[in-house]
Amino acid sequence: MADTPYPATLSGIMARLTRRDLVKTVLVAGGAVAWAGYGRAPRSYAQGTTTLTQWYHEYGEAGTQDAALRYAQAYTTEPDGNPAVSIEMVWNPGDYAGKLNAALLTPDGPDIYENGGITSAVVNANQAVPLNDLYTPEVRADFSPLSLQVNQFGDNVYGVKIVNDTGVIYYRRSLLEAAGIAPPQTMDELIAASTALGTGRQKGLFIGNDGGISAFLTLLPQSGGSQFLEGDQVVFNNERTILAYQKLIELNATGSLLTGAPVEWFDPSSFTQGLVAMQWCGLWAMPQIQAELGDDFGVIPWPALDASGTPVTFFGGWTEYVNGNRPNVELSKAFVNWLWIQRADFQTDWNLAYGFHVPPRISVAAAATQLQSGPAAEVVGILEQYGQILPPTWTASMGTILQDAVTGVVQGGGGDLAAVLTDAQGQIEAEVVRQATPVAAR
Amino acid sequence: MATTLDTTETTRPVIATGARTAQRTGRRPGPIVNQIVLYIVAIVLAAIFLFPFYLLVRNALLTQAQISSLEWSWWPTEAQWVNFRTLFNDYPMATGIRNSAIIAIVNLVFQTLFASMAAYGLARMPVRGKDVVFYIILLTLMIPSAVTFVPTYVVISQLGWINTIQGIVVPGLFSAFAVFIFRQFYLDFPKELEDAGRLDGLSYFGVYRALVLPNSWGVMAAIGALSFINSWNAFLWPLVVGQSPDSYTIQIVLSTLITAQVINLPVMFMGAIVAIAPLVLIFLILQRYIVQGVTMSGIKG
Amino acid sequence: MAIAQPTERLQVPKVSFWQKQSTQAQLAFWVFVGPIMLGLTVFTFIPIVWGFLISLSDARNSVSIGNWIGFENYRYMIGNDQFRRSLVTILIFTAFIVPLTTIFALGLAMLVNALTFGRGIFRTIFFIPTAVSYVVASLIWKTSIFTGVPSGFANTVVYWLSGSDPTSPVYNWVVEYTWWVLVSVRLWLQVGFYMIILIAALQNIPRDLYEAAYVDGGRPGWTTFRTITLPLLRNAVVAVVVLNLIAAFQAFDEFYNILSGGLASSANLSIARTPLIYTYQIAIGQQDYGRGAAAGFILTAIIIAVTIVQGRLFGFGRSSD
Repeated sequence: MADTPYPATLSGIMARLTRRDLVKTVLVAGGAVAWAGYGRAPRSYAQGTTTLTQWYHEYGEAGTQDAALRYAQAYTTEPDGNPAVSIEMVWNPGDYAGKLNAALLTPDGPDIYENGGITSAVVNANQAVPLNDLYTPEVRADFSPLSLQVNQFGDNVYGVKIVNDTGVIYYRRSLLEAAGIAPPQTMDELIAASTALGTGRQKGLFIGNDGGISAFLTLLPQSGGSQFLEGDQVVFNNERTILAYQKLIELNATGSLLTGAPVEWFDPSSFTQGLVAMQWCGLWAMPQIQAELGDDFGVIPWPALDASGTPVTFFGGWTEYVNGNRPNVELSKAFVNWLWIQRADFQTDWNLAYGFHVPPRISVAAAATQLQSGPAAEVVGILEQYGQILPPTWTASMGTILQDAVTGVVQGGGGDLAAVLTDAQGQIEAEVVRQATPVAAR
Repeated sequence: MATTLDTTETTRPVIATGARTAQRTGRRPGPIVNQIVLYIVAIVLAAIFLFPFYLLVRNALLTQAQISSLEWSWWPTEAQWVNFRTLFNDYPMATGIRNSAIIAIVNLVFQTLFASMAAYGLARMPVRGKDVVFYIILLTLMIPSAVTFVPTYVVISQLGWINTIQGIVVPGLFSAFAVFIFRQFYLDFPKELEDAGRLDGLSYFGVYRALVLPNSWGVMAAIGALSFINSWNAFLWPLVVGQSPDSYTIQIVLSTLITAQVINLPVMFMGAIVAIAPLVLIFLILQRYIVQGVTMSGIKG
Repeated sequence: MAIAQPTERLQVPKVSFWQKQSTQAQLAFWVFVGPIMLGLTVFTFIPIVWGFLISLSDARNSVSIGNWIGFENYRYMIGNDQFRRSLVTILIFTAFIVPLTTIFALGLAMLVNALTFGRGIFRTIFFIPTAVSYVVASLIWKTSIFTGVPSGFANTVVYWLSGSDPTSPVYNWVVEYTWWVLVSVRLWLQVGFYMIILIAALQNIPRDLYEAAYVDGGRPGWTTFRTITLPLLRNAVVAVVVLNLIAAFQAFDEFYNILSGGLASSANLSIARTPLIYTYQIAIGQQDYGRGAAAGFILTAIIIAVTIVQGRLFGFGRSSD
């Protein structure tokens, strides 16, 4: 796809510039030199007898890549590791999901990889193996319930959570105080606050360039107390969900939302540059926001839909999995156990030394002084209290169906919300049935 | 393109090509007023076409904060040349440029060679069934890469070529598009020349090497340049097949500037300038040959 | 691409004496064609056939074949609302981009050709966007020209036109004027290339045709354009149209980079998702290779059909002589 059919031509390049022999010599020599010199920088991982590959996506915080490499090397060199195993850490910029999915189909896939959460399809394809034996009672008790739940399918836990992420609404204290507005507690208050703060060329709230659809597609109904799947039942299509999306339409209609910003909601620039008074953004952005705004900001969860709803935020982050289609599953499990369960110091380092995250281990989080006070402590509390996840049977295709339906109404200039949701429900039910039917033989 | 002929070899006649023999289009210079209007239109359009390049340079010299600011600015009050240093100090740009240049050159040499040979055979050799072969090759152009992407990846994996240079480069060396363009060109190639060569006792390969190749540098250059640009700008395949940072191409290095948490826009734009500069330079120097190359390639219909 | 036209110069070469040595010719032919056929076989034909077999299989999280389900994947994709919407999207896009590109390219070619000096400079200026990748162009369009914030260029122009009225509207161009954004970026990127093709064709029109027309009382301008230029450019124009059509049907990069937020998915992609993006989402994103492959082959069939119809209508592929 990157090879878009690029128009031909630069033509007689060599035609006149050079005589053919010169061209030939240059090209052939260039090609040979090129071939010989390509990508031959020395590998920099410690040597053991068995090599396991470990994949990460590209984290944005400076220093994370070096840290991941350091952990990998430590496994071979440190006494509590395994000198017979070397870990080849692979850092993957760009489209991690696409690259990972392609690699998992082949015998060359990674032994150990991180991903967002478990799905039934991954389990059925043996792309992740159960890690139950890593979770002794003490270990299990030390992980926050959602950290386990997000990796649970059937009776098994398939991964080890390595970092927790979440999002909150950041607001400018000074702007809210000047306008006499208290931090909103309900959706209606949020709409009112956004409208009041979106004066002139400054907007009130930034929740994504799509008007919040992708970021709140599932969070909004959840803020009204509605869920999506219960067992094999599709349960989102109800009045609460309709009300939730209607509120999103209402919020968009105020004209006080920032849309079409140069960078998306996960980057705090729009907030720190004063394009908006409030922005939905991740915990990871807090150091940058603190650096640029000092104390002039506060955090709140996404507000409850109304009095009978609940504030929400996403329970995000990354989990380490072991690929069942590789030869050294047991060695890989041992490494995961060592890195993310035994070595609390590495989990602390990984979560807190390069931007802000919440360690999934309760004991590690409790020991983190950075998370004990101020806005960071508030965010930790918000995550514990209001974090939401989706069941492993909820797939990307279901999300796409729902997103298309909601986008059509929110940005397509109206439409019958109830009708499109019922239509989406039908399509999603078909997907649920299909997910429940495993591919016969592999 | 007579100049491409080696004048010391007298047996070689001048090859007539469209660009050389065709007359300039006969639009007489109109009245002065017409010309003035034309130039005004041309200058306005040129300004519009150049505008995105200006934005590229401006953005590369802004700070991230200024790109997200409220007010339009024509030019940074303080040009952030530090973005250039950041790019080369904090990101493996040198590696990226080296790898991309290597891949692009290898691609240029072999894609052009393979396509040219095949096209010559398809255009000129008296072999039954060669048209079927040609249509089979052409069919591949119609099939979107999304269909073949994963199977090709698995083939590469079966060959043990994941995370190797051959895995990145080799699948791109076989271009049906290039075969088509070359074939169009060879269909117009003067038959007498080849017959003379054959009479002199040259083999098929001899004719190709001694007569055909030396007279098709123009179209070779066009195709070569095309494959150079394509592989220079390629992103998804090298990303998925390559793994170690040593194998990053320039486009992959640029993609590391966009992460799930932060997007470093000004440095990204600076990187884009660095990535485009070699291609633009080539255009600027060689633009006068471009017209001839396209004409020769037979698209003229 | 355009190229897949069967009628294109298919003449069997006139008999020359060496034609008789057919064994030698056979051997030589395969030596010449062998390398590319070998490469295409391994890296393209096998994947295509494999892809087709996958499209007949239930292949989720797997590319192994054998779980035959007939044409179920095709039936599903054809009945799928999202896929059908993506086909409508690409038809709309094609309906905009192909005529616009052709007309602009022709206009630029004639403009450049009519200039008395500085042709090279203008030709270069119109051509160099070709060197820019879709990713970079999309980034410029999205972050600097058509942003939804006041500092974006388009909104700044609106602000200036309003007489610097601070209450002037700030548009979210990508959502409100999606087609303007998407069409203009591709136009900028590709029009120069097609202009070059047409300039080449223009220069092949013999000058005496015009001279004769002037002698006969024809005047430079619309009449000669209609009676001489256009008919003689027909093949080149049709080539431009067909190349353009095939490229437009496979549009991916600018839609993906402008509408989707890059790494974070953005619902703006729901506004105008192309078939190739949808195919990619199914196959790579959701690891449902059976359906993804079926979608890809349906798109292929449409491209081939449109190319053939287009070829029949306009006679692409006929030799000009």
